[in-house]
Amino acid sequence: MDTLLQGFMQIANVSTIVWMAIGSIVGIILGALPGLTATMGIALMMPISFRLPTATGIGLLLAVYCGAVSGASIPAILIGIPGNPNAIVTVEDGLRMTKKGKAGQAIGGAVVASFIGGIGSMLALMLFSPLIAKFTLAFGPAEKATLALVGLAIIASVSGDNIWKGLLMGAFGMCLAFLGTDPFSNQLRIPFSKYLATTPLSKGLDLTSTLIGLFGVSEVFIGLKKSFVGGQHVEPVKIDHIFPPFKKILSMWKIILSSLGIGILIGAIPGTGASIAVFMAYNMAKNIAEHSNGKLEKLGTGALEGVFAPEVANNAVTGGALIPTLALGIPGDSSTAVLLGALIIKGVTPGFQLFTTNMSLVYAIFITLLIANIFMALFQLLGVRLYPKVLEVPQQILLPLVLILSFVGAYAVAGQATAVGIYNLGIALVMGLIGYFLKRDGYPIAPIVLGLILGGMFEENFRRAVKLAGGNYLTFFTKPICLLFMALAILSIILPIIAKKRGKR
Amino acid sequence: MKRSAIILSLLIALIVSGTFSAKAVAEAIYPDPEKNITIVVPHAAGGGTDLIFRKLAEEMKKVSGVNFLVTNITGAGSATGTNEVINNEADGYMLLAAGTHTTAATMQGLTDGYKKLDYIAALNWDPFIVAVRKDKPWTSLQELVADAKSRPGKISLGNAGMGGATGVASVGLNLAFGKVFNVVPFNGGADLIASVLGGHCDVGIFSQSEVVANINSFRPLVILSEDHSPLASLASVPTLDEAGYPEITVPGGSFRSLMVKKGTPEVAKKWLADTAEKAFYSASFQKFMKDNGLIPAFYKLEAFAEYDKGIIADYEVILKEAGLYKMTN
Repeated sequence: MDTLLQGFMQIANVSTIVWMAIGSIVGIILGALPGLTATMGIALMMPISFRLPTATGIGLLLAVYCGAVSGASIPAILIGIPGNPNAIVTVEDGLRMTKKGKAGQAIGGAVVASFIGGIGSMLALMLFSPLIAKFTLAFGPAEKATLALVGLAIIASVSGDNIWKGLLMGAFGMCLAFLGTDPFSNQLRIPFSKYLATTPLSKGLDLTSTLIGLFGVSEVFIGLKKSFVGGQHVEPVKIDHIFPPFKKILSMWKIILSSLGIGILIGAIPGTGASIAVFMAYNMAKNIAEHSNGKLEKLGTGALEGVFAPEVANNAVTGGALIPTLALGIPGDSSTAVLLGALIIKGVTPGFQLFTTNMSLVYAIFITLLIANIFMALFQLLGVRLYPKVLEVPQQILLPLVLILSFVGAYAVAGQATAVGIYNLGIALVMGLIGYFLKRDGYPIAPIVLGLILGGMFEENFRRAVKLAGGNYLTFFTKPICLLFMALAILSIILPIIAKKRGKR
Repeated sequence: MKRSAIILSLLIALIVSGTFSAKAVAEAIYPDPEKNITIVVPHAAGGGTDLIFRKLAEEMKKVSGVNFLVTNITGAGSATGTNEVINNEADGYMLLAAGTHTTAATMQGLTDGYKKLDYIAALNWDPFIVAVRKDKPWTSLQELVADAKSRPGKISLGNAGMGGATGVASVGLNLAFGKVFNVVPFNGGADLIASVLGGHCDVGIFSQSEVVANINSFRPLVILSEDHSPLASLASVPTLDEAGYPEITVPGGSFRSLMVKKGTPEVAKKWLADTAEKAFYSASFQKFMKDNGLIPAFYKLEAFAEYDKGIIADYEVILKEAGLYKMTN
């Protein structure tokens, strides 16, 4: 209790509160701008945090982190462009809600979901850190490879009506993931390698630029076409029911709990991340909704459930990723890697010892995480009535704006590496064209993203696992977690097909 | 028509000469107090390399009054950031946070690297430590090597990535011990620690801070430097010499330095080297190095170029042996 009080004293001052408020606002803005990621926001604020007391500095960075993860849902819901990869899945139902005129409710729901995810994962961090940290260590290369396999199997549920089109797109995404350099030998693995060797393409496609192209630029082309064939009818935005009714939230308890669990665990496993967690949470929620006897809306139709699942999960990743960061000194994702650096430069050594020697700082970090989530919800809700006004902007102004934002985002991903930035612009444009033609002909986009994110993770960990086993490919069948995951992956491909066949009869 | 062409060419000549003379002026008053000097760190913010240069930048700013900025440009090992410096002006306003990562990336053909860079200042070494999980049977390096020799290829030795300094060190060690280990590259230090802690990989090669963070779970076997660690908690870890292998030398650490694009004016290089020297010997930076277990190795300009020849020679042997050497000329 004494240490808790000491921890509280470290942050009970005006400067901490003010810096965290600033961090929260900066985070939300950065998160909402396509291409600017949470990691970038934290790196940007790091020099400031060095000049502040340790707990205050960490509080500032956590505020940016939570704000950015949550802010990304705003453009995902309103215009179908995820602010960063964390919000890819939020597009699925969020954008459909907007098209039904329920943008306010979608954003309000996303904020509530983010808050639940953030607070839930903070509690897990406070109560079960050592336990979860130990559990995640059971995930070696073999386990991670099969986890990626489970993720890839989700393609079946995000494929829309045609599972074969989905699988095709997933394979396309995986092909894209393999472009670049071999992760083991640094050998080039691209077509025309003689000419492309010295270009940024030699390190593969930049994920964020590809997403901006597939989601953002392609929408501009679609909008452009619609404006030629005739005016697009957009439902007027109603901003009354911003908060989802409490009863509705309660009815989704299964979805909330499963998303929370997935977010915390995936966040805690180093080398994974929010972009994987959101897909898994969405998939789980889809199954839950289908077996709810009509109590829950079907996902993929513009359901609040479909916004809740990924938004709970991606904010649950924040607390989850902090677990190995604090308990083991191993960052759970790229954002917490920067946080870890900020702690080290302050002379704090994260890891097991932190919990025994400097518990007051650990408590201070927990409390700042709580404040970060409260600020995030507060500032988001202040804006909820404001954001949907974007949709009232006429198409001829909105489309160029979206295009500009997309290009600025793709360029900015590279930071100050201007040459890389130019190449990213090219990637965004080409992917935009590909995305346009695919969407036009009814091919789902989400499987490409899954393939792109998980393809690399699968390949690398698969090869590493085989290398560790001295070349024995059967190593995957000797580990219980791997067997479980492989069974899960097979089931999640087969079950929807069987269900569909039964439905037809 | 002809006249306008002449006027046009005159105009072009004027503009070109104008920029040249502007440049000449800029050189004369280096460093321009209005300009920032950027240090490009080719690794992620918050990592070991990044923190050293952020601290150094702060001190360089203090001793010179000129604004030093740190920018992280990551990708392709360290090649993306290195290329960014090489593709910019050789005007002395952009420095590269260089080191063993630059040597490795250059030899792997990922960048023209040190062939197109000039030497400013060598800074320090962060020596690597070979460690295992505490419940593993090996209590010394000799026991580990003996076991590995009795069943070659069965004990895995993990590094944080083939192209980086831990990769080179692990390949070097494996060569020295007759290739009895199964060298496995991981995706960065965090991935490696988790795998060794989780028992998926037997032996790991780590930086000191990584071992300190998990000192209760790790058993450090050897430090790959000539002297003991400056850190109290690792001071008792034996050197290769003490561990019974005085004949073995491997480049066992990550080395950090400052470099600029080749062709940078001598005035600028000298000013930067002197400023780096002052910052390096400041009480604050010295304390930072001591607190983080960094071993000082300051050399500037020609002396640094001479020092780097030794590192290049060591690396060449190992990278060629590992099949990673792709440098064409």
